[in-house]
Amino acid sequence: MNHSLVIADNLSYKINESKLFSSLSFQLNKGECLHIKGSNGSGKSTLIRIILGITNPSKGEIKTNIDEGICYLGHKNALKSYLSVEDNIMLMGLLKHEKLKKYLETLSLKKFLDIKVANLSYGQQKKLALLRIFMGNSNLIILDEPFVGLDLENQNILSAFLNNELIKEKGIIFTSHIDCDINAKTLKID
Amino acid sequence: MKLLSLELLKLKKKTRSWLGPILVFWLIMIAYPLTIEVSSESMEIGFFSVLWISILLSMMFATEDIFTEDYNDGSLEQTLINETSFAYQVGAKVLIHWLLIGIPISILSFIFSLGTTGDMVLSFLILPFAIMSSYIFLNLFVLGNALSLNKGSVLGAIITLPLTLPILIVLGKSITAIQLDINYLGFIFLLLGSLSIIIVSVPLIVSYIIRAHLE
Repeated sequence: MNHSLVIADNLSYKINESKLFSSLSFQLNKGECLHIKGSNGSGKSTLIRIILGITNPSKGEIKTNIDEGICYLGHKNALKSYLSVEDNIMLMGLLKHEKLKKYLETLSLKKFLDIKVANLSYGQQKKLALLRIFMGNSNLIILDEPFVGLDLENQNILSAFLNNELIKEKGIIFTSHIDCDINAKTLKID
Repeated sequence: MKLLSLELLKLKKKTRSWLGPILVFWLIMIAYPLTIEVSSESMEIGFFSVLWISILLSMMFATEDIFTEDYNDGSLEQTLINETSFAYQVGAKVLIHWLLIGIPISILSFIFSLGTTGDMVLSFLILPFAIMSSYIFLNLFVLGNALSLNKGSVLGAIITLPLTLPILIVLGKSITAIQLDINYLGFIFLLLGSLSIIIVSVPLIVSYIIRAHLE
């Protein structure tokens, strides 16, 4: 368990009586990335919620070994549309983060600080939500379809960031239907 | 403190959510004298019943989308995986709603009571009852909203309303006790006891219910 961030043992999940997935076992070590692949409705997001501890598996066990929380971004961006970009960054607790300025520039968000999130495009909202990941301190990053809504340039920025985090011995689990340049092992659930 | 200030930021910027319930309360209290014969004695007869029901309705409106928004935008999931206790975060949310909505309504209760009865002592005694009842009602409606998280707030209100009836009865009895100049402190302690139980238990129950919803 020392080098393992996540150990899943014989996980199964069923809705009513229909099985979504069964007997799923995997291990994620430090510095490793796991790309969960599967068709729509195969249970990728459910598996992620099980790893996060939001959903309980029908059978099996999951163990996580993390320092502080989990850096997570799901389908929903967890942004307040009636607040400005700056207020949302404050809600994320990142307003005084040393790397904030750098990432605001990298993601071209600096000029939108006073703009309400409701007035941003989906891609811009996604970039804002990704600040949570870019500036998180956790040794485990979990992303559910992180590339959706991003243009190619920002997809590359995200891929480069994630590859860099792997060098720092962090663990990454993500789902994506979009091809990306991340050095990851694949877990297929169908 | 940080959690409270962030909750305050969210609610403060959402004017409709905190000003709406206060306006509803204000409008009912303004409308009340217009619907009856304008003589101070007849106004006083039903004033306190209208006051408690207005507080009840305002608190119901105050909690209308207390969790729905967080549920829809994914914030609840982020809250759940946060290291801070979820029950504590629910408690903070309720406290901020009470500070921004419950307290102004309690102060308005004092003003309207003074305007209607002209009795400073009676109006001043109303204040602790209004403060405590608003917090109790708020907690109860939060519970209802958690139960009907993705089914609409009306269902939550219907589930919760029977729970508020004992509080309304105590409030009615306490006004009678104050007016007859008999011991009303027992009622204050009764509400205080209920509030202390509710303050602890509701965030715990609500956090459990929301976890179940998200699962």
